[in-house]
Amino acid sequence: MTYLLKQLGREWRFMLRQRYVLILLLCSFLVSGFAVFTGLAEVAQQQQTIERLKLADAKDRLEAQAKYNDPGSLAYYSFHLTYSEPSNLAFAALGERDVYPWKHRVRMLALEGQIYESDSQNAELAQAGKIDFVFVISALAPLFIILLFHDLIASERSSGRHDLLVSTAKSKYALWGSRGIVRFVAVVLCLMVPFYLGAMISSTGFLTTLLVSIWCIAYLAFWTVLSLWLGKKLASAPRIASILIACWVLLAFVLPILSDLLINHSVHSAKGGDILLTQRETVNDAWDLPVSTTMDAFAATHPQYADYSYQGEGFDWGWYYAFQQVGDQASTDMSNDYRAAAAKKYTLAGYATLLSPPLLLQRKINRLANTDALAAFEYEQDIRDFHKALRMAYYPWLFGQKKFDKTQLTSLPQFEDSTHNYKKVQNEQ
Amino acid sequence: MSSHSFAKVLVVAKDEWRYWLRSKLAISVLVIGLLLTLSAAIVTAVTMMELSHTRASLQDTAEQTFVDQPDRHPHRMVHYGHYAFRVPSPLSTIDPGVDAFTGNSIFLEGHRQNSAMFADQKQGTALTSLGSLSPAFILQVLAPLLLILIAYSSVSRERESQTLSFIVSQGTSIFTLIIGKGVALLCVVGLIMLPVIASSGIAIVQGESIVVVLSFLSAYVLYLLVWSLVVLLVSTAVSKNSESFTALLFVWVLFCIVMPRIASSTASASIVSPGKLETDFAVIAELRKLGDGHNANDPAFSKLKTSLLRQYNVETVEELPINFRGAVARASEAQLTEVLNRFAENSMQEELAQTQVSRNFGWLSPMVAIRSLSMISAGTSIETHHRFMREAEDLRFSFVQSLNQVHIDKLNYADDMNRNANAEAGQKARVSAENWQMIQDFKFQLESASARLHRSMPAFAQLFMWIAIAGSLIRFFGRRAI
Repeated sequence: MTYLLKQLGREWRFMLRQRYVLILLLCSFLVSGFAVFTGLAEVAQQQQTIERLKLADAKDRLEAQAKYNDPGSLAYYSFHLTYSEPSNLAFAALGERDVYPWKHRVRMLALEGQIYESDSQNAELAQAGKIDFVFVISALAPLFIILLFHDLIASERSSGRHDLLVSTAKSKYALWGSRGIVRFVAVVLCLMVPFYLGAMISSTGFLTTLLVSIWCIAYLAFWTVLSLWLGKKLASAPRIASILIACWVLLAFVLPILSDLLINHSVHSAKGGDILLTQRETVNDAWDLPVSTTMDAFAATHPQYADYSYQGEGFDWGWYYAFQQVGDQASTDMSNDYRAAAAKKYTLAGYATLLSPPLLLQRKINRLANTDALAAFEYEQDIRDFHKALRMAYYPWLFGQKKFDKTQLTSLPQFEDSTHNYKKVQNEQ
Repeated sequence: MSSHSFAKVLVVAKDEWRYWLRSKLAISVLVIGLLLTLSAAIVTAVTMMELSHTRASLQDTAEQTFVDQPDRHPHRMVHYGHYAFRVPSPLSTIDPGVDAFTGNSIFLEGHRQNSAMFADQKQGTALTSLGSLSPAFILQVLAPLLLILIAYSSVSRERESQTLSFIVSQGTSIFTLIIGKGVALLCVVGLIMLPVIASSGIAIVQGESIVVVLSFLSAYVLYLLVWSLVVLLVSTAVSKNSESFTALLFVWVLFCIVMPRIASSTASASIVSPGKLETDFAVIAELRKLGDGHNANDPAFSKLKTSLLRQYNVETVEELPINFRGAVARASEAQLTEVLNRFAENSMQEELAQTQVSRNFGWLSPMVAIRSLSMISAGTSIETHHRFMREAEDLRFSFVQSLNQVHIDKLNYADDMNRNANAEAGQKARVSAENWQMIQDFKFQLESASARLHRSMPAFAQLFMWIAIAGSLIRFFGRRAI
């Protein structure tokens, strides 16, 4: 034991004297620190935005509610904020939140006409991608590890000390093992310490932090072992590094890009534009169609309102909201198809990441952080559920089954983030 | 340079090529590089041309459906709406830029400015988060790596095998040697760029300005020249092959992988852009002051009423020779659009300021410089998207106001007020479908060549700075090297 400690202590002091190793370690610490810092800033910004939106939204709705008195106008003029808060791991894995929306305002009109509106971030920045902890580990850390480990043996060989070292050391493992361990521990610390600080600040759960640590360390170990194994087989340091870099390019770029091409060619879906077009056409045509056509189509899916009689000959709110709903119904199949295609791509991409450790790591941690496409799909479903709850709350007033009283507005459904125990409305009536 | 030393430079260059052709590593790197650019050029060109075709035909369909609508109340057509599609630029076959990250279609309707919808990235696989198969990505990120792999030992090799002092003592100056190796590397650059040059030829055929294409291509040559110089510089400055390799790899990671993302993270952290949803609240507050254009009795329009009554010298709106409701709709749309445009312009300026912060990182990494230069010249940068938003808004405003004009001129006020009385009155409050012909053909046009060239100047300056720095450092280390 003391022998091992002595070995490790010696290698530690040896490492501290190597300027280029220190520079690499410092760089990995700085980059990881920067990534965690900007990640925390980004998440804080998102949370503040949501808080500001909540206030503004409530104020805006109160104003609308003060101005109108009938349920039809109230439903027409009140918007409702929906949002998806960043999780407490999101700082480390910003994920796809710059591509998919995480805030949205909807009202009682046809949902398919509203849900594709996106309040996206600066596209040019999204295209470059942001630096987050997951990116540092999955894409950058392998490069740092390659730089640190490829010449562990080869450098001694080229400086002529290799044979002397091997013959004087007690065992091969005592020498290369302790040197490898020291460097590995050093680089893992430099990369992970900023993450632990970030996890403390955003009070990430212990289990989550542990899981992330296991994934990251296993991933870093994979690259270390690969580098050492190749380093043992070949003599020239640049050649070892070239092959390792080629592996990195293959795993991080080439294989994922090829899988992406393949998946995009194999999965077809309705065009987003077609969904919108169908929905708009149906809603607009309804103005010219006999009222009964719309009401029959509406009653087919909402039998409880089948006996609603259309008031007068002019404009009627019940009829208006019925044809909004019929517009959604006309595009339901396409919309389902569109979402199913996205979900299928997500699943297929999961298989593809098995070929690419860097993307596998990203996917796993983005999933843990709830910042991936799946989280975005769930959020979209939350919006749909909320919109439905809203309709169910207004329909009895609009179709004359319940007498409307303005004080009842407080009982309208409130959107709650599903990550914060949002109870899904299963109110089919 | 005399013809004598020029001949020597060529000999060195030829010799370097001979060395590469004998080395397995260099050959495989070259072949892989060529294959990558070639496949990227083909795949991206096919994809973007398909997209271009699809969007152009969607635009035609949208125009046709609008014109085909039956007789209606003109305001119904204002809400029926129209679509604008952004057809990608010719050079997007080389650099698709933000195309997949911004929506490419906008629904245009009265009283609202919608955002662009259906960004392709949202139906994507997230597998391309580290890099995409565009020629731009290959040239910006992977080509420098290829140059490093081929030439990291170009000078250090001579030193390590002690042929350097031999060559110099025989009368070949170290700079002739470095220039010769540089010429050999430039041939590699030319080779890698061949598929891209062919692809940009197609862009010219499709109507892209020749000057832009030339500046686009020369930007890439300059960028790869920067990298060739950096490779030669490091190879000259250090004493061992392995050191040269490690140092170059490190520089590459910093410039090509770390910096672009640090740039965009810094930009979004330093300039906060509130986003459409949040500014919409301010818009709504401002719009409430304007009055509802659907309601001709809204007190906000009393001024309009008095001035119209005076103009036509009548007592009541019923006596007006024009439809007062249409006049209200037109006036309110104009006021509202002014407010909407002010806010839209404001948020575009915020986005531009953010982008500018990230572009300034071009002084810290040549990759960031070429990235913005490439997107700006190709017309796939954020500015092009903004232009699309503005053009779409012009289209929206013009079709809505044309419909309002039809409402004013062709629909009788009494019929209009009576429209909800019964089905027959509803039929009467319509205008002929011939009026829908006024919809303009929309074809998204890129900004002029000179505007794009002008905008790309700072990035050119950044690249020239990199060339100057690398060049003078080579001079410095070259002198010390012997």
